[in-house]
Amino acid sequence: MNNHSQEGLADWAGPILQGALTTLEIAVLAYAIGLVLGLLGASARLSPWAPLRGLATLYSTAVRAVPELLLIILLYYAGSQALTAVTNAMGFSGQVAINGFVTAVGVLAFVQGAYMTEVLRGAILAIPRGQLEAADAFGFSAWARFQRIVVPAMLPNALPGMSNLWLILIKDTALISVIGYSELFFTIQQAASSTRAHFLFYAAAGVIYLAMTLSSTALFARLERRLRRGQPNTEEA
Amino acid sequence: MTSSLDDHTSTATAAPAVQARHLVKRYGDLEVLRDVSLEVPEGSVTSIIGASGSGKSTLLRCLNLLERPDQGDLAIADEAIRFDRNPQGDVVGLDRRQLQRLRAKVSMVFQQFNLWPHFSVLGNVIEPPMRVQGLSRRRATEVAEHYLARVGMADKRDAYPAFLSGGQQQRVAIARALAMEPRLLLFDEPTSALDPERVNEVLGVIRGLAGEGRTMVLVTHEMAFAREVSDQVVFLDRGVIGVAGTPEEVFDDPRCQRFAAPAT
Repeated sequence: MNNHSQEGLADWAGPILQGALTTLEIAVLAYAIGLVLGLLGASARLSPWAPLRGLATLYSTAVRAVPELLLIILLYYAGSQALTAVTNAMGFSGQVAINGFVTAVGVLAFVQGAYMTEVLRGAILAIPRGQLEAADAFGFSAWARFQRIVVPAMLPNALPGMSNLWLILIKDTALISVIGYSELFFTIQQAASSTRAHFLFYAAAGVIYLAMTLSSTALFARLERRLRRGQPNTEEA
Repeated sequence: MTSSLDDHTSTATAAPAVQARHLVKRYGDLEVLRDVSLEVPEGSVTSIIGASGSGKSTLLRCLNLLERPDQGDLAIADEAIRFDRNPQGDVVGLDRRQLQRLRAKVSMVFQQFNLWPHFSVLGNVIEPPMRVQGLSRRRATEVAEHYLARVGMADKRDAYPAFLSGGQQQRVAIARALAMEPRLLLFDEPTSALDPERVNEVLGVIRGLAGEGRTMVLVTHEMAFAREVSDQVVFLDRGVIGVAGTPEEVFDDPRCQRFAAPAT
């Protein structure tokens, strides 16, 4: 008991830093995968093929309609049960526990992808029709048109929404603590209950989250300025 | 209703750049083109004139299949378009591969320029040759510099389109079209979106191209210009060809004069 009360911020600095790093790793990976899912989802939502459109609409609507905390828990158990069923069917017995890091990235990416689908879909719809028509008129392949015209033309429109999603994602990583994976929030919880210095550690967590979000907001602002270099009078916007 | 264009053209010395027969285009119940046939000889300039809503732009956009005709036959640059048809002969689809190949040989200049704002002037001009024809960046840049100089925009190569005037943007768009070294150039009201004092710099460039013997089809409201540069004028009236022929024949025809007289 005496031991515990002696423990302070300095003793926990290492684990907390490690947790913050893990949080960033989860967030960056989930964001990258979510971006790919969003591009696929948005393309599918705008596809002329109705079944594909329906599938993408179902994905983005259902995922956005359910609390993320619930999704994380659901997918965690569903994922481990499904894997267990598969391995049992293959002749291995026993429970399969999925790696917490993989679950965290997978679940957050899945959720991000749904929101990203809508952000990117809106940005693609905002591209003036003539720019796409010009690509068609010159005989661009579907891939060249997507990669060289659609993506760069929609990015300036998408970036504010994408930056928003990144901030939400950093904060959502805290939800991963419910499955017991030691990212930043989980580590802070442990530190706080172990030392009883609740306010100190939760305040420290707040400062760390703030540092992450503020620095990334600045990065997004720079990126947006660069992407809008072809557009006059957007500096002050 | 199957295409037999190849049989028709086999006897001619040079196949026309465009041969359109009995084109019909509908939007729902509205028939925008009603049985339009058009032939554009290689190396000639054809102007399509007519009132707003007469189907001029639709006809032009059928020539690179930005609009897909509902009926008729079409041959562009020696190639009959292979339409998928239903048993009634209506066009229901296209061969995508042929479409891309065809469009690489037909360049279009748009009323609203349609430059890509995220590329510089040079970037806009090198993009289609690099992506569609597989030119190296170095080779595409040489070609682009040549045509940018041709339209008097070489000094703006690093500018972004949004920082240029309408006339300058349209000249870049013409350079972009020329950089594909197309068999056929299509102009869709190239000066209609320009301030009046910018019209002449663009018409000057087009006049120069006509003088080089390029095959061009031009939709325009500039009657005097059409009369001056065209070998053939087509007057469209509510989806059918009212009069077609040499500029003199068309502009002196009473049916066309009711429409074009104030401008000539």
